[in-house]
Amino acid sequence: MPEIFIDGHRYEFEGEHKVLQFIQDLGKEVPFFCYHPSMTAPANCRQCMVKAGQYMKSRETGEYEVDENGDRVIRWFPKLQTSCNLMAADGMVILTQETDEQVKRAQKDNLELILINHPLDCPICDQAGECPLQIQTYKYGPEGSRFEVKKVHKPKRVQLGPRVVLDAERCINCTRCTRFTQEISKTHQLTITSRGDKNYPTTAPGREFDDPYSLNTVDICPVGALTSADFRFKARVWEMNQTPSIDITNGKGTNIDLWTRDNLILRVTPRFNSEVNDHWMPDAGREAYKIFNENRISRPQQKLDGEKVLSSWNNAIATLGEQIEDTDNAKIVVIASPHASVEENYALSKYTNLLRLNAPVFTSHIEEGTGDGFLLSDDVAPNTNGCRLLGFKELDKSAISKEIQKAELVIILNDNLVDRSVVSADQLKDKFVAVFATNNSETAEIADLVIPITTAAEHAASYVNVDGRIQRTYRAKETKYTNRRIDLEMSEGRLDRYGTNFDNWVTEDNKIDCMPMWEIVNNLADAAGLDINFKDGREIMDEIASSVSNFSGVSFAAMDEQAGIQLSIKKETSTSK
Amino acid sequence: MAYEFTKEDLQEIETIKAKYPEVMPATLPTLWVAQRRFGHVEPEVQRLVAETLGLPEAHVHGVANFYTQYYKEKKGKHVLDVCTCLSCQLCGGYEILHHLEEKLGIKAGETTEDGTFTLNQVECLGACGYAPMLQVTNDKYVNHLTKEKADELVEKLKSGEELEYEQIKMPQHKNI
Amino acid sequence: MSTVDWKNYTPVLLPDIKDLHKIDVYTKNGGYKALKSVLTDKKKWEGPKAVVEEVKKANIRGRGGAGFNAGLKWSFMPPADGGPRYLACNGDESEPGTFKDRKIFEYNPHVFIEGALIAAYAMEITTIYVYIRGEYKTYIDMMEKAISDAYDKGYIGKNILGSKFSVDFYVHSGAGAYICGEETSMLESLEGKRGYPRVKPPFPAQKGLWGRPTTINNIETLSHVTGVINNGAEWFSSIGAPTHPGPVLYGISGHVNNPGVYELPSGVPVLDLIEVAGGMRNGKKLKAVIPGGSSTPVLRADQLDGITMDSDSLRTVGSMLGTAGMVVMDEDTDMVDVLWRIAHFYHHESCGQCTPCREGTGWLEKILLKIKNGDGEVRDLDLLLDLTTQMEGRTICALADAAAWPVRFTINRFRDEFEARCIKKAHAVA
Ligand SMILES: Cc1cc2nc3c(=O)[nH]c(=O)nc-3n(C[C@H](O)[C@H](O)[C@H](O)COP(=O)(O)O)c2cc1C
Ligand code: SF4
Ligand code: SF4
Ligand code: SF4
Ligand code: FES
Repeated sequence: MPEIFIDGHRYEFEGEHKVLQFIQDLGKEVPFFCYHPSMTAPANCRQCMVKAGQYMKSRETGEYEVDENGDRVIRWFPKLQTSCNLMAADGMVILTQETDEQVKRAQKDNLELILINHPLDCPICDQAGECPLQIQTYKYGPEGSRFEVKKVHKPKRVQLGPRVVLDAERCINCTRCTRFTQEISKTHQLTITSRGDKNYPTTAPGREFDDPYSLNTVDICPVGALTSADFRFKARVWEMNQTPSIDITNGKGTNIDLWTRDNLILRVTPRFNSEVNDHWMPDAGREAYKIFNENRISRPQQKLDGEKVLSSWNNAIATLGEQIEDTDNAKIVVIASPHASVEENYALSKYTNLLRLNAPVFTSHIEEGTGDGFLLSDDVAPNTNGCRLLGFKELDKSAISKEIQKAELVIILNDNLVDRSVVSADQLKDKFVAVFATNNSETAEIADLVIPITTAAEHAASYVNVDGRIQRTYRAKETKYTNRRIDLEMSEGRLDRYGTNFDNWVTEDNKIDCMPMWEIVNNLADAAGLDINFKDGREIMDEIASSVSNFSGVSFAAMDEQAGIQLSIKKETSTSK
Repeated sequence: MAYEFTKEDLQEIETIKAKYPEVMPATLPTLWVAQRRFGHVEPEVQRLVAETLGLPEAHVHGVANFYTQYYKEKKGKHVLDVCTCLSCQLCGGYEILHHLEEKLGIKAGETTEDGTFTLNQVECLGACGYAPMLQVTNDKYVNHLTKEKADELVEKLKSGEELEYEQIKMPQHKNI
Repeated sequence: MSTVDWKNYTPVLLPDIKDLHKIDVYTKNGGYKALKSVLTDKKKWEGPKAVVEEVKKANIRGRGGAGFNAGLKWSFMPPADGGPRYLACNGDESEPGTFKDRKIFEYNPHVFIEGALIAAYAMEITTIYVYIRGEYKTYIDMMEKAISDAYDKGYIGKNILGSKFSVDFYVHSGAGAYICGEETSMLESLEGKRGYPRVKPPFPAQKGLWGRPTTINNIETLSHVTGVINNGAEWFSSIGAPTHPGPVLYGISGHVNNPGVYELPSGVPVLDLIEVAGGMRNGKKLKAVIPGGSSTPVLRADQLDGITMDSDSLRTVGSMLGTAGMVVMDEDTDMVDVLWRIAHFYHHESCGQCTPCREGTGWLEKILLKIKNGDGEVRDLDLLLDLTTQMEGRTICALADAAAWPVRFTINRFRDEFEARCIKKAHAVA
């Protein structure tokens, strides 16, 4: 097998590897800026310099040549090489900054040059704390500056488009952003303009950078040159906790991170998953942070004499229990939801099954024209396939209407059926409507009983995307009834480790008075004398895996390990284009 | 749209496209066609070029802004590009530049109020042996400049006279 | 040191023939004979490879500045696979001090066209582009005419001279960018993009224009091919300096009486060349010479004794032949001004793609401006020298090297003058 020697260690490899990527995959480091694994390598930042050479092999014997001391003979490349575009070769010898002074010096020299025209804005720069330039300058850069002449000035605070702001002085010309619009989103909206040290990225004059994927450029910009218009100046990176999650605004199941401070989600960024979204996500999904913070239903609500009033949990549970008991089973329709997780749907169905109510039905949420052949599908619900694999009956709009027409009690799991015009408010008028919901909506508005449930940011649960991949969320924020200090599954931020108790997570108002669906089911079951005792999403998934064959082999641990698990779905059920 | 190519322009652009296996290579020559037609390649013109070729506007913009000969804004009727690079510097290029600045009452990079002249200081034009020299509006070279010759040139251009191509004879080496 | 017999040399690229640029005059004077020979004389030329071999033997060292053996470069082209292959002729001619290729466009375009066609045949090229800097509008028009004449006469196009060889030949105009003379930047510019040099590998012979095999040669280099085919490799390699043979178009500018382009053998003594150009202007003394375009290290007058215009000889005093565009400076020349102006040029022309060049060229210029204005300090000189090492050999293309060398060598060779400028200020302030 071909071998390569990096800083004196021998590694075997197969196939084609760029040396920089190879080193990173080993968990080691060479500083870099312009390289991005999903795009072409222009090798323009010149930061990733290494010393490269080749052990000489004898033509005849194929053996390594040795010198008089018995050491292998190395032929060094005449110049230092950029490792990002250097292909690993058999017998290659690489020295990084760890072992070679010349490399160390070259990297330092390069950082000095990058910094001469860079405005040292770190204290007011959004990127600070997660800035490759800042980090690498600390690690590999020069102390002080020898630059005593005038810096180049360029446009600042340029609104490139509705969502992206440019500070051209911070730009280091890595061309990641322009390459993104050329190679990934293919809108070709960005170019570098001008020449030499006047270079900076821009759109065509009078044009907006309204690329539906524009915010990815903010993520990949290695400095604070591109910032999110929405997130700008909202929070310092080190004040936030980062929690893995899944985009619930589309069926694609883009892997994301939720960034939380004081129980508010402040931003959403994509999380790498080679099987789903690579490094990217659509701008649309980033707006979703608002649904976790705003317009939430906090505390159960009940309609009394046509007036919505807040209710107690006990009262709400008792009311629903009574309604079910008082209604003919045949007149109860239970509507499951592609907008709720597998576990929530399962918990509800277990309860209604034990009560021998009609099996849950659901209707998919398709918005024609949303799909773009990339990371958006026409199916805008995160778990349509989850409902299908649980064996729920899928009904179209008219069939659902018919079911509702027959019913006296309508139980709806988090699905805004009125808002999305599946049923009209009129159709529901004379019925008792109970909804489990996360956010205020027209549907919740007309309901007689509203029971607030957790969002994907508040529970750990699974969703099956349009391609049949099951993936899960983690708890990113607290509810009234949870405590991060004792919930070891919740992520820790820098302030948790290094701050005081007063630094963050102090605003009670930001905690929503809601519960995970399965806990509500526990209470409902309890009231009905049934034996259901769900602990958390993890346990429910274990139960599902053992009782529903479509999910066999699925567990939180397995999903974590494999970045989601591909389930087998019927091809035609996939709506991704 | 304010700017439009004529039928002849469009024909020329088709001829240009035929030289290459793809459309993008036509970017530079088409910008030239546009500049000859409109006198500049302001953003509106860049957009016309992009639309005509079916290429992204940002691409055309980036290209137009990389190359110094494209006028990204309107210039004077005559653009005097005075070379001050190495050999011209040695042979008095800056004196010519400053002389013209004084004569036209503008600084390098500016346009006279009446819009007749734009004066620029430019990099080596490949006429080092005939220094100091300047180029008029991306076209004729005027070599071996003296202040007098510069004055004459300004008058000539003002009067609307066409410039002649100044041929420079091949010097044959003499045996020494 | 060998002495080159240059005094009895008769020009071959730019001979004294009236109206040679006209195709009829050119053919009347033996033009297109070489092309006819390689295409039709199967006894003499067994095929394309034989042409490559002959050119390799002649050792035409690239006249674009790098001095690489043209035939050897041609031999790097992979075997033809039926797909398109390109020859890109480099007429960007933008290195300060260089103004020679334009003479070929003007006075003998067909010797270049013929040479390019032979190269195309030798490498089984399907399309030739000649990239000419946009400022040479006059010469672009002349070349368009010459090429169209050659099409009309059947030297370009389908089945040239009845052979199986077909090729197209187009002019592509630049638009103001020195960097487009760098071969891969030129390819980008030909592809209609910003002139950002490409990272190598892959080399153009593997992946050039539109990802296809491509060779890049300078205009003068290709023009010499015609003579090599007509007169043989030996004829060529016996002219001038043995390791850098053949005729050279010397462009002489600066403080001489008769500046201009002179065609002479390689290896002419530098001091003789100044005499060829009429000697020093106004009877001034020689101070310094930049031998081959602004990027080649400057030489002091006292370094020039016995030095000849070829790479080996120039190397002994720490310089290069480059483009053979020689800039002559007299005793009144202010080296600080000159160096600042050169630095300004490279700063202006850096494409800005890679860090050391984008940032370094500007920094060099700004420090030099400070020194020129009398605000410099001696430590700035050492900073300048340090910066040159931070730029050299660390970039995508050689522009950064070209910017660094003049700074390093001008300061080293005229250190007193630079220090004096710095010190004067120090005293004035005190
Ligand atoms: C910054 C830079 C500018 C260059 N400019 C020119 C040029 O104007 N003309 C030219 O022929 N070669 C130029 N070259 C050299 C070309 O890259 C290339 O080596 C040459 O065209 C090859 O032709 P040759 O081997 O026939 O010399 C330049 C190189 C660099 C690095
Ligand atoms: S981009 Fe990075 S280094 Fe620059 S100011 Fe912002 S945080 Fe600091
Ligand atoms: S804005 Fe950011 S991503 Fe774009 S070129 Fe500049 S540094 Fe790179
Ligand atoms: S060295 Fe300079 S000119 Fe060459 S690619 Fe880098 S920035 Fe551009
Ligand atoms: S990461 Fe290698 S040059 Fe930028």
